[in-house]
Amino acid sequence: MPITPMEVYKLLPKTNCKKCGEQTCMAFAFKVINREKQIEECSPLFEEKKYANQKEKLLGLLEPLKEATETGLIVDEERCTGCANCIVVCPVHASEDPYGSGSGYGPKIEDPIYRLEDGVLKIINVKKCRRYGKNRILCVACRENCPSDAISFLEG
Amino acid sequence: MHVCTGCSCLCDDIDLKIENGRISRAYNACRRGAGIFLNISSSRAKPTIDGQQVDLERALQKAQEIIQDSENLAIYGLDTTTLEAQRLAIELAEKKEAFIDDNSTFCLGDFVEMILKKEIPSTTLEEVKNNAYVLFYWGTDPYHSLSRHLSKFTYYPRGGKRQRGYEEDRFLVVIDIRKTHTAKLAKKNARFLKAENDADIIRGFIDALEGRSPKIFQKEIPRILKEMEKGGFNVIFGGLGLKYGLGGDYALLKEMIERMNERSEVYFMPAGCHPNMRGFNELLFEKTGHVNRYSFREKRSSDDFAFHRLLKNDSADTALIIGSDPLNSLPLEYAGKLSEINTIVIDPRETFTGRVAKVTIPSALSGVESGGTMIGADGSRVELNPVFEAEINDEYILKKLLEVV
Repeated sequence: MPITPMEVYKLLPKTNCKKCGEQTCMAFAFKVINREKQIEECSPLFEEKKYANQKEKLLGLLEPLKEATETGLIVDEERCTGCANCIVVCPVHASEDPYGSGSGYGPKIEDPIYRLEDGVLKIINVKKCRRYGKNRILCVACRENCPSDAISFLEG
Repeated sequence: MHVCTGCSCLCDDIDLKIENGRISRAYNACRRGAGIFLNISSSRAKPTIDGQQVDLERALQKAQEIIQDSENLAIYGLDTTTLEAQRLAIELAEKKEAFIDDNSTFCLGDFVEMILKKEIPSTTLEEVKNNAYVLFYWGTDPYHSLSRHLSKFTYYPRGGKRQRGYEEDRFLVVIDIRKTHTAKLAKKNARFLKAENDADIIRGFIDALEGRSPKIFQKEIPRILKEMEKGGFNVIFGGLGLKYGLGGDYALLKEMIERMNERSEVYFMPAGCHPNMRGFNELLFEKTGHVNRYSFREKRSSDDFAFHRLLKNDSADTALIIGSDPLNSLPLEYAGKLSEINTIVIDPRETFTGRVAKVTIPSALSGVESGGTMIGADGSRVELNPVFEAEINDEYILKKLLEVV
């Protein structure tokens, strides 16, 4: 399940103290999910005892962030059956590898975003993904075409 | 590039990494396909007689004796082996005037028979990739049974006239009794029809084609027909759900396909699972005009010659099972009888049937350890490219058995 900024915001101190450098706690929550800020930068949360409970919950909530790639992509290999819908549907694969994964075959380029290895989906080169970098697009083609919900994105 | 023999897709783009004579990585194969390549050494069968391990020569000799002494031999399985081995098995059946049957009796043999008799038009998966617009998946869940079917051949790949991807250049129709994983993919530019009764849906299509309002899915059916006219090339993939939903009466289905073809091209293809089931059906059809359940003694095909019926009616005194595990797949009521008659199992892996068999003969995994040809569900021939070459394969064993008849 994706984590929403609102879920993070609810567990922050909500004082808009600006100690983290952001104008509001909501802005900070957004940046935490996008991994532009670390949750540790919210000093009141870690220093003041009254937030101890919230801090525990928040750290639990943000646990999946550690596993996610730079694009927020998470693949649950347990759920994957290796149908390769995601690989073929990917618009980057279609344009860069039209006669390989764009046509339904296994990738013929050296560094595809995804590849099937030992029957399950492996992330090879996330830098090619349209969700990566400054001018990113929040593309969800692979997630939308995974019937077993093996692919998820942190931001939803 | 190797060919995966996990299902009837026969994917031919499998890359393998081999280290120290072992397959260490499988690329591009689905979970089932990778499992075959990566686990070649697990649960391998051993030559046995009455459950006791013996050497291969002894097991072969015993099998030859049993075949020689048998009066009513039944040959069964064969769907996971090559055309070359199937041909030998049919020859053996002919010489012994035996019964021969495969899994297609309760799988999609009926559909293959209709296609081979040219009662319904069919096409190849390559054509589907290049031309098809409306894709029906009727009573089948390829996400599980044929994992790469949608991504490699039908819905997702770009090819030929269909270059714009699934959102614009394909229209998916899933008809099933429940919302399957494949049905979850029927979102935009797609329809999911929840089937209570397959015949009613077929009647709905026929009604709409004749200009009447269908009794069910009043909105969906006319829309689908409109899309079919727009696309010009459409395919129906029929699975076991459709076969059993119709209960053996295909007149309505044939009528619907014929009517649909008056407006646009519509093809029918079986979406079945066994890698070389169609191969067996085609070989037997060439020889006898029937696809399965055949008795070479009576020179006819009948329901009574289906393997489970032979067991039920005690019609066979010897069973030769090649690459199948009836004790696992058939009801115990029938398959249990295999322990009472002379059963010979030829299989690369240990099977439940092997445990109750008189003789087991270990063989090679087709596609990994032995080469040959297979026919995919669409009728196209695929040459296997094995990783290793095992000397003892189904062909070798069947040739040995043929020596004594």
